[in-house]
Amino acid sequence: MTTAPLLAARGVSKSFFGNPVLRDVSIALQPGRVHALLGENGAGKSTLINLLSGALRPDGGAIEVEGRAVSRMTPALARQAGIAVVQQELSLTASLSIAENIGLGAYPRRLGLIDYTALAARARAACELVGLHEPLSTPVGHLSLGRRQMVEIAKALYRKPRVLILDEPTSSLSATETKILTDLLERLRGEGIAILYISHRLNEVMALCQHVTVLKDGICTADRSLAGTDAAGLVRLMVGRDPGDLFPQWQTSKSPADAISVRNFSAGLMRDVDLDVRTGEVLGIGGLVGQGQEDLLLGLYGAIPARTASASVNGVPGLPGGVPKANALGLAYVPADRKREGLHLIHPIITNMMLPAFARLPALKLRSRRAERETARGLAAQLGIKGDLARAAQALSGGNQQKVALAKWMPHDPLVLLLNDPTRGVDVETKREIYLMLRAFAAAGKAVVLLSSDTPELVHLCDRVAVVREGRIVATLERGALSEETIVSAAMGAEDRKVAA
Amino acid sequence: MSTVSPAKSAGALYWPVQMRRNIGVRSLFIVVLAFLVAYGVLFPGLFSASGFAKFTQSWFPLALVAMAQAILMLTGGISLAIGATVSLGAVIAATTMAGPLGVAGGAAAVALTGLGIGTATGFIVVRLRLPAIVVTLAGSFIIGGAALLVLPRPGGAIPAWLSDLLAGNTPAAFVLLVAIVLLWKLYLATPLGLSLYAAGENPVGAYRSGVPVDAARVAAYAISGLLSTGAGLFVAAQTGSGDPVIGTAFTLNSIAAAVLGGIGFLGGQGTMRGALAGSLLLSLMISVMFFLGFTPVAQYVAQGLIIIGAVAIPQFRKVQQ
Repeated sequence: MTTAPLLAARGVSKSFFGNPVLRDVSIALQPGRVHALLGENGAGKSTLINLLSGALRPDGGAIEVEGRAVSRMTPALARQAGIAVVQQELSLTASLSIAENIGLGAYPRRLGLIDYTALAARARAACELVGLHEPLSTPVGHLSLGRRQMVEIAKALYRKPRVLILDEPTSSLSATETKILTDLLERLRGEGIAILYISHRLNEVMALCQHVTVLKDGICTADRSLAGTDAAGLVRLMVGRDPGDLFPQWQTSKSPADAISVRNFSAGLMRDVDLDVRTGEVLGIGGLVGQGQEDLLLGLYGAIPARTASASVNGVPGLPGGVPKANALGLAYVPADRKREGLHLIHPIITNMMLPAFARLPALKLRSRRAERETARGLAAQLGIKGDLARAAQALSGGNQQKVALAKWMPHDPLVLLLNDPTRGVDVETKREIYLMLRAFAAAGKAVVLLSSDTPELVHLCDRVAVVREGRIVATLERGALSEETIVSAAMGAEDRKVAA
Repeated sequence: MSTVSPAKSAGALYWPVQMRRNIGVRSLFIVVLAFLVAYGVLFPGLFSASGFAKFTQSWFPLALVAMAQAILMLTGGISLAIGATVSLGAVIAATTMAGPLGVAGGAAAVALTGLGIGTATGFIVVRLRLPAIVVTLAGSFIIGGAALLVLPRPGGAIPAWLSDLLAGNTPAAFVLLVAIVLLWKLYLATPLGLSLYAAGENPVGAYRSGVPVDAARVAAYAISGLLSTGAGLFVAAQTGSGDPVIGTAFTLNSIAAAVLGGIGFLGGQGTMRGALAGSLLLSLMISVMFFLGFTPVAQYVAQGLIIIGAVAIPQFRKVQQ
């Protein structure tokens, strides 16, 4: 194309706390084109949107509006340039009406007051576009999640954007609403608006978009026309990479004995799940973020209410009714958010390591500092935790923090480890150490349940992988069938097309 | 293409929006009405001119501080300095109005003090991102100390004619309250006023939508300060003099009234009409218990139990849904 793109990023980079999230990424949004942005969880899509909309500033590279570099992009400048973003987390206020939400921040005024006449007319026009027929005075809090998403889109259209960025707009929409939205985007494209469309639903992307940019670990791996690619090709673009020798040699240590067995298990988002976890195996839990995987672990651990038709945990029938009971049955849980749930950051490393032990001591028994120090030193040596154990846990790097979160369970010799994304934000070297540790647990006859957003990890570490989509286990892949393609396909519901292809 | 006239289509949005806001407080309105009827039956004097005047005068300062607290809670803030600010308003009124400044000058001093205190508090809380509860707790000591410096012991004077006008046998308090409510409706019809809700409930989303979140919150603190010192002026007029600790009880009563009125602690939840109804309910409860001969201690206990109940009932309803 010869025309200048309405909005572009040229070689932008961004790091958070020394972790590079985007490296030298370029993207150009042309008028009259729907541009797809694809990538796995954590590939850097949201960061790129935030750079384009001025919510974040790039460490290197430039943001260009109509071919001119903008030195300091801010949300206000982005709005002036006609850039509207439909965020994944909604920006709505529940107690205000639909119209008041749509106009928020850009109310028409008369004599300093909100001009409700003009607001009604303009909000009505925006609502017509997205097929919202509820009375404009309805408080947004009374609407379902899907309808709120439509209000959010109407809010973006109300501003008459020239660049429209949609971050997974269809994840909470019904089929009818999705149809309305795709028709609308088709029409807006015809009017010369540049659209950036992020979605995990590949069939939508194939039907709607003309051009695709694929991000993989913060690097742009494809920037090409969509013509001549299929869903399987897109999946290959998203996962294609060499796993290297990050992972330990895989050897089975699986035994037929069940550590955990549940039937018709429901907790949180999860519905009617049948699951067996065998001793001596690493069972992976995969899927897109937020499909209910965490509720599965928390439910098994007794941390959230769960219902089940039948269950047995380490030979004891029934689910543990609470965390102390789960611990007594030999379950241990390591949360994903180690800063808020896994550790007590302002307290010394040694205290963090001893916390589960405190729970087991008689409440008024005096602590033995010497025994604690010895145990902690042993754990630190065993897991390779570097640093003075009397320092606060927040002084440790992410990788070492994760090791402390794991180490605190070790003295209790858990039979089942429930791990929630243990390698998120962890450096490569520590990742490798953690992988070795997990295989060693399995070899010692323990069961490891590994929830992970990192697909290669599931492929190379696990004996089996259960893939979760919309609160259900949609596929259980045995070792022989494990590949990044099969997991991503199952997670996105693209397996039907793959089989056909 | 629209066939409705502009004025009519304005009504077609503005008034339905207003009616919708009643839904959450309907049951509260019914309870308040029941209490009013009970009060009227127990004390028929309510329906005479002087009875009505006395009743609205006892309610008025509580209504003002309930509004002062509610506007902050809507933005996700809170103030523990309302009582001290009421006291300061009262002593400034009592020391200036009978002096060379006169009533107009004194009223201006009271108003400016309230706006100044509110704006300063707002800046500290919003700009420096400090917790409102700590800042206003510290502020209550500073402001309370200032009130004691202005007037170390009860004294000063309010011109008799002003006391008679505001707290005598006139419906002045009621008229003032109606005027203040109308001004509030006007404020809520401005973009800045309506932003209160968005800034309180979803500040990140509001900021991304182009709402001046910080300005909306600082303005709320300024208005809150003005309402508080205004309540102080009225209290001084009621007693005819100034008392540097007269406002102390208003801090907790303002929170109680706002909570009774359905204002949430998390910001953006509730309505000013709810807070006003809550203050009326609290005022009625205090009067009824007084007339029924409750000892002050029993009154406090009953008040506390009723407030916990008022917060718990909506919570139970939510859990059941």
